[in-house]
Amino acid sequence: MTGCERVNRMFARQDQDRIPRCDTFWPETITRWQREGLLWDHEDALLFLQSDFQPLCWSWPAPFPQQKELITQDTETETYRDAWGGVVRYWKGRSGTPEHVGFGCDSRAAWDKIYRPALLAAPLQVNPKLSALRYQKGRQLGRWTFLSGVEGFEALRKQIGDEAFLVAMIEDPDWVRDIVQVHTDVVLRTFDAVLAEGIKPDGLWIYGDMAYNHATICSPAMYREFVWPQHKRMAEWAHARDMRVIYHTDGRVSGVLDLYIAAGFDCLQPIEAKAGMDIRQFAPTYGDRLAMFGNIDVMKMATNNLPLIEEEIRTKFAAGMATRGYAYHSDHSVPPQVSWDTYRAIIGFIDRYGNY
Amino acid sequence: MPQLSELTAAVAAGKRTDTVRLTQELLAAGSAPQDIVEKGLVPGMAIVGEQFKKNEIFVPEMLVAARAMKEALKLLEPLLASAGIKPKYTAIIGTVQGDLHDIGKNLISMMWRGANFAVIDLGTNVSADKYLAAAKEHNANLVGLSALLTTTMPAMKDTVRILKAAGLSTKIMVGGAPITQAFADEIGADGYAADAGTAVDIAKKLVGQAA
Repeated sequence: MTGCERVNRMFARQDQDRIPRCDTFWPETITRWQREGLLWDHEDALLFLQSDFQPLCWSWPAPFPQQKELITQDTETETYRDAWGGVVRYWKGRSGTPEHVGFGCDSRAAWDKIYRPALLAAPLQVNPKLSALRYQKGRQLGRWTFLSGVEGFEALRKQIGDEAFLVAMIEDPDWVRDIVQVHTDVVLRTFDAVLAEGIKPDGLWIYGDMAYNHATICSPAMYREFVWPQHKRMAEWAHARDMRVIYHTDGRVSGVLDLYIAAGFDCLQPIEAKAGMDIRQFAPTYGDRLAMFGNIDVMKMATNNLPLIEEEIRTKFAAGMATRGYAYHSDHSVPPQVSWDTYRAIIGFIDRYGNY
Repeated sequence: MPQLSELTAAVAAGKRTDTVRLTQELLAAGSAPQDIVEKGLVPGMAIVGEQFKKNEIFVPEMLVAARAMKEALKLLEPLLASAGIKPKYTAIIGTVQGDLHDIGKNLISMMWRGANFAVIDLGTNVSADKYLAAAKEHNANLVGLSALLTTTMPAMKDTVRILKAAGLSTKIMVGGAPITQAFADEIGADGYAADAGTAVDIAKKLVGQAA
């Protein structure tokens, strides 16, 4: 069975030889593993895992795609004005969540006069021909190929910042709707340009972290009003092209699973355990309508305690596989506390418990 | 003359214009600034914290309530300062060294201000030495440490160790996405809060113990 067949059968809740697999790693994790025996890079780790997924492109359209102006730096960090007009502080030479120092798009007027027209007029920000080459590679390897990019919630955060957009949800809701819609327009236009290369990807994997440990960042009602219509539009766009939809969000989203299903999402990933998400609880209820992709707790992986990790994998695989709609992924990105020996043992557990 | 309860309701509902207007009217009618803060604004933010804990409201509603209170405090703080009235408790807050994430820390900071704490925000990537110096300088009752990343949890542990070793009476509270009560206990923190509403309850409890 190829990876593509395996993933498609997962979506159809049909028997598979084993569960599909994919994972994400912090760059520092790969650096550590290279010291401990991994031969090459991130791709090598995915080959070792026998990942079934092939990305084709990444779309996060910006109003000023060429803009990256160094504003200041110190021994540890560099601060840039980025392609969205924001001032963002990054670590030098290592990964980590950046600090958003400020936002150029700090008012409705700035959006209307500068950023909205610039975003709509910006050149295509993916390379369709490169996407087509990746598609051919994915087909040769038998992988499930997908377009990927950012959805409206994450775009809002990047464009105007958390505080501004959350307040605008109450004080200027039309602004919020407009940003989400314009962003979605540009993302779908981008994907259309990729498909114009004559390729037929298997799915769409969209990213938007709309929750944290406690709950969704905004209420389910606000999500339904402001962002959900564009989520539904993306899902309809994908389904009209015979593509399945995977939605990525961190955090506790148990309060909006019904809305995800109503939007047309086919799969949820990565199902963050430390936010209280547990497929053992909700796979029996939702697993027939929403495939589950992930939920293996990186905090447990980081202990390098193999019996603890094995129990995590055994019990969650059992819950997910009972629906036939489950794929392996860590519940976030594998952190550098996880040794290469531990990750190899994790793959052994996936082999042991992930076969149908 | 409006009632303080009207001000409480306006803050809880995040009605910034009404909050400012009611504050002005209460001042004009002779209400004491300290009463306006303690009996009008702070109870409003307490309602917000309770509703947030129960998922009856979410971050946007909390933000607009905090902004409403902030606008009212702009009117009140000069009057309080001239009368020599300060918040009873002082808290230091920051994101630990190696971590640039700030939204969680900012939310806690807003909620602590809403509970009438004086809050000194040290920002992100804060070293243990900087926390210690600020705690000493401001004679802080509370130090709040935030971390988003699993990779910065060791920095949190080191900071707690250094603050404890300094022998201050300051209580230490921790939080952030990867943090749990078990981790807080393991590193010797005095308190842990899973969300911004609970963070106020825990902070009050800790400073009550410290006072």
